[in-house]
Amino acid sequence: MSEIEKYIAPEEVAEAVEALGTGGVTIVAGGTDLTPQINEGRCHYEPTLMNIQRIEELNRISLTDGEIRIGCLATVSEIWYNDIIIEHADILCQTANCFASDQIRNAATIGGNICNASPAGDMIIPLLVLGASVELASWKEGAMEIRREPLDKFFKGPGKTIRNENELLVAVIFDKPSADFIGQFRKSGPRPALEISTVTVGIGGDLKDGKLENVRVAFGAVGPTPLRGKATEVALEGQILTEDIISNAAAAAQKDASPIDDIRATTWYRNHLIAVFTEELLNNVC
Amino acid sequence: MSEQVAFQHIEKTSLIGKRIKKPDAPAKAMGKTRYINDMVLPQMLYGKILHAGRPHAEIISIDTSEAENLAGVHLVITAKDTPELRLGFVKDNAPLKDRVRCERDEVAAVAAESEAIAAAAIKLIKVDYKDLPGVFTVEDSQKKDAPVIQEHFPDNKSLKFEFKHGDLAEAEAKSDIILDDVFNVHLVTHCCMGTSCAIADFDHNGKLTIYSQTQYPYNYKMDLAPALGIDAGDIRVIQPPTGGSFGAKLDVYPFEPVAAILAQKTGRPVKILFDREEEFINSPTRQPASMHLRSGCTSDGILTFRAADVVMDNGAYTSWGATVPVIMMRTTSGHYRVPVVDFKGQAYYTNNSYAGSFRGYGNVQMTYATAQHMDMFAERLAKDHDLDPIEFRLKNAQKSGEVTPQKSYLRECALAECLTTAAEASDYVAKLNKYAAEREQKGRYKHGIGLASSIHNAGGAKIHKSDGCGTILKMDDYARVTVITGASEIGQGIDAVIGQIVAEELGVPPEHVTLVNNDSDLGPWDVGVHASRTTFIAGNGARRAAIKAKKQILAAASKQANVTAEELDLRGGYVVQDKDGAVVTRLDKMLRQMHFQPEPDVVMVSDYYEPNSEPEGRDHISDHSAAYSHAVHIAEVVVDTLTGEVKVEKVTMAQDVGRVINRMGLEAQMEGGLAFGLGFALSEEMIFEEGRLKNPNFRDYKVPTAPEMPDLDIHFIESDCEEGPYGAKGIAELPTIVIAPAIANAVYNATGIRFFNPPMTPEKVARAIWEKKNS
Repeated sequence: MSEIEKYIAPEEVAEAVEALGTGGVTIVAGGTDLTPQINEGRCHYEPTLMNIQRIEELNRISLTDGEIRIGCLATVSEIWYNDIIIEHADILCQTANCFASDQIRNAATIGGNICNASPAGDMIIPLLVLGASVELASWKEGAMEIRREPLDKFFKGPGKTIRNENELLVAVIFDKPSADFIGQFRKSGPRPALEISTVTVGIGGDLKDGKLENVRVAFGAVGPTPLRGKATEVALEGQILTEDIISNAAAAAQKDASPIDDIRATTWYRNHLIAVFTEELLNNVC
Repeated sequence: MSEQVAFQHIEKTSLIGKRIKKPDAPAKAMGKTRYINDMVLPQMLYGKILHAGRPHAEIISIDTSEAENLAGVHLVITAKDTPELRLGFVKDNAPLKDRVRCERDEVAAVAAESEAIAAAAIKLIKVDYKDLPGVFTVEDSQKKDAPVIQEHFPDNKSLKFEFKHGDLAEAEAKSDIILDDVFNVHLVTHCCMGTSCAIADFDHNGKLTIYSQTQYPYNYKMDLAPALGIDAGDIRVIQPPTGGSFGAKLDVYPFEPVAAILAQKTGRPVKILFDREEEFINSPTRQPASMHLRSGCTSDGILTFRAADVVMDNGAYTSWGATVPVIMMRTTSGHYRVPVVDFKGQAYYTNNSYAGSFRGYGNVQMTYATAQHMDMFAERLAKDHDLDPIEFRLKNAQKSGEVTPQKSYLRECALAECLTTAAEASDYVAKLNKYAAEREQKGRYKHGIGLASSIHNAGGAKIHKSDGCGTILKMDDYARVTVITGASEIGQGIDAVIGQIVAEELGVPPEHVTLVNNDSDLGPWDVGVHASRTTFIAGNGARRAAIKAKKQILAAASKQANVTAEELDLRGGYVVQDKDGAVVTRLDKMLRQMHFQPEPDVVMVSDYYEPNSEPEGRDHISDHSAAYSHAVHIAEVVVDTLTGEVKVEKVTMAQDVGRVINRMGLEAQMEGGLAFGLGFALSEEMIFEEGRLKNPNFRDYKVPTAPEMPDLDIHFIESDCEEGPYGAKGIAELPTIVIAPAIANAVYNATGIRFFNPPMTPEKVARAIWEKKNS
């Protein structure tokens, strides 16, 4: 049993990042992953529990100079109902609609969903499709330092990322998609709520004169991390979505994925769904 | 009430069939109900159990010293502290174990000042195990050199059941179609919202008060006593509000005597409350079974025989699960007219978890098989002999007055009416043919419609020496009624029904009836909440008691009004003239006049109602219920042939309810019962690997969520049961029993594939469709 010795709730980012620099800190935001993981004994509290919910700056969603920035504390519900997101990045809304349940959406934050680094983390898939990066803030020599890393390089394994313990993921950023951008998300499971993904697929790109360009494809729950579907992207880039191209893409998707058997699904079913969903999403678009 | 009313006339009205609010619903909806889980007694300690977490092992040694030395720990106990104490249906179970036979086995227990200290202490107990080879399937259990799980059962054979009727060879010879299939029903559990809890408290005279979620408080004392080594008479059972039972609390399970032993030895009240993971691992399941069913039928569509060979995984101990063949055989012999029956059931010990009672008790399992065989016959007969699928079922449907081979007397039988009502309301036959024709056409989404029916006891089930219920009724000087009944309330709604019935007889508002039914020191005896019996049995008892009270009041009033008692009635809180409702006097005034006179005449009556059924008996040939009932479900589904997702869009239900008592409660039972069957059919499954449960959480054990509920078109068929209260029959289990095979038949209609091994998960369905396409 680990004991929390200290609880802090900073109101400024710098304050939080400085505290993080001292080490031994557990960050809590929505708590929707942290609490059950603590209860299951999968992780333990560090001596300091830091609630970052009071840092107002971190839950803003903005569009500046062609860049959309979502603060790490934006909840899944806030993203779903945000005008900027609705207008430019509907694929995030499609995903939010499939995410957990109303109560969890109201509490769960985008930063938490990313840092939890579950291979099945739903919100990560559309962000990969949007080509997002993350901003990591740390305390260096009396000042805050920020580095920006592409999201598709962020994940190292289930629950593992390149984020250092002294870093706070403060925002996720992506270029405002073009007017031709189409994005589609699909999640398995018959349950309209509270389903843990057995397979998720996201596909996005600019659809111009029937051709799909700047394609990005992402898969969830079919490998140790959420992953980009590079072979699928190659199969689709610059192509008109004919029946053949779509079935090539579905076959490529199965190559991109490396699913495992677990109690939620077999490898066979995950491979099967990857192809089914890839075809379904492409058929939705053309 | 104002005196003006005294000159009015009060019309005769009835509450029966009306929508009566459940008295505890507002408090539950508002979060005000204090469940047993919320209870704290002064000086109370928290108990926690160390479970083995391994399926089969010898216990070499247990070192409790570190746990005992932890500050705040009052006591640590092991099997050494509880020798000779036994529990269970065949007394093969013990509160604490000296040997591990399944994952959930209780090895030690702690009583401490707080839950956190108890949890920490459990971790400090050191047990040295020697793991033994395990038995995890019934096939392995039967092998010659199989490890023995229970020393008193060296061949690993647990309970056995048999019933034979008629000449099987002759019936087979007469059959034009014989179906022969094996159905395997899986493991599911109750998932009560309120996790298991018991609070035990001994007084200085050695009498135990146990706060319990039990649904059978009176026989519970009898079952708990040998697990404590005390007299059953020294146990008082109090039943605080409970978050669901559904059969899970129809036996004594080890945590209950463990709480009591800790309380006895510490002299303090002790509470044991499971968290959700403990609940999943350590609660009873529905009995899984492998059912080899053979059924015969003539080309005219007349059933000739059913032969069922049922093999059950008993698990490591015997609770009520392994007794379900008692009902399975009633389904085999009574689900439609079956002239020749050969039923065998055998349970085998394994190192798996063990099953208890669960809503539908054996019938959920057996109907999954029989209703699919009926559908398979219907399809063959329609194709080869042009017989309408409803006509086929009507040909074999029993009629009122028929007796089944096991001597179930179907006094009022409405199966035919259930069939025609549901078929017409859903346009069953037309859709069945349309969807079958569309099956091989192009298209990702396929529609299907499926019909299933079953029979279930609807007037109790006399598996004990008595199937009765006692009632004590008193009225006070303000015309308020108190009913003390043996019937427990576990959420099923007997509180509303008894209030309604007593109010109906005594002409008072239902909210003027107070129910006392949560204390075994107060209540008269009752078997318990099971077998869809409570409205039937306790309802009859309450009605009989109320009629006695009414007679007493009217006799007193007749003297005063100078008319015969037969000319009077009780309505709207008044004594009135029966013929025109003219008010004679206010009821409360009448009661005071009866009370405050030289020879006081106070209304205090009692009743013990025993239904006119026969004990089950060893040969299983008896009219074991006072009534039987049928239901028909027609499920309409859409199957995504790529993902395998089955969406149940609509269910048309027709059920013989005898007579509607509380319409709102009845509808809720239909909806809730169906939800249980829906989860069983499509998504719920306990996944065991080598005796260990791999999904002890709601994330991976998928109970249906609200949006998955289909539209329901519910038809209540009122057969007017002679023995039931106002004609009512028991209703609560059929909705769970019938839906799964209706869905399976609908999925067949949509895909051409039969699923004999539920649940029909997306993966299973997708794979079967893919394999069929690629074969």
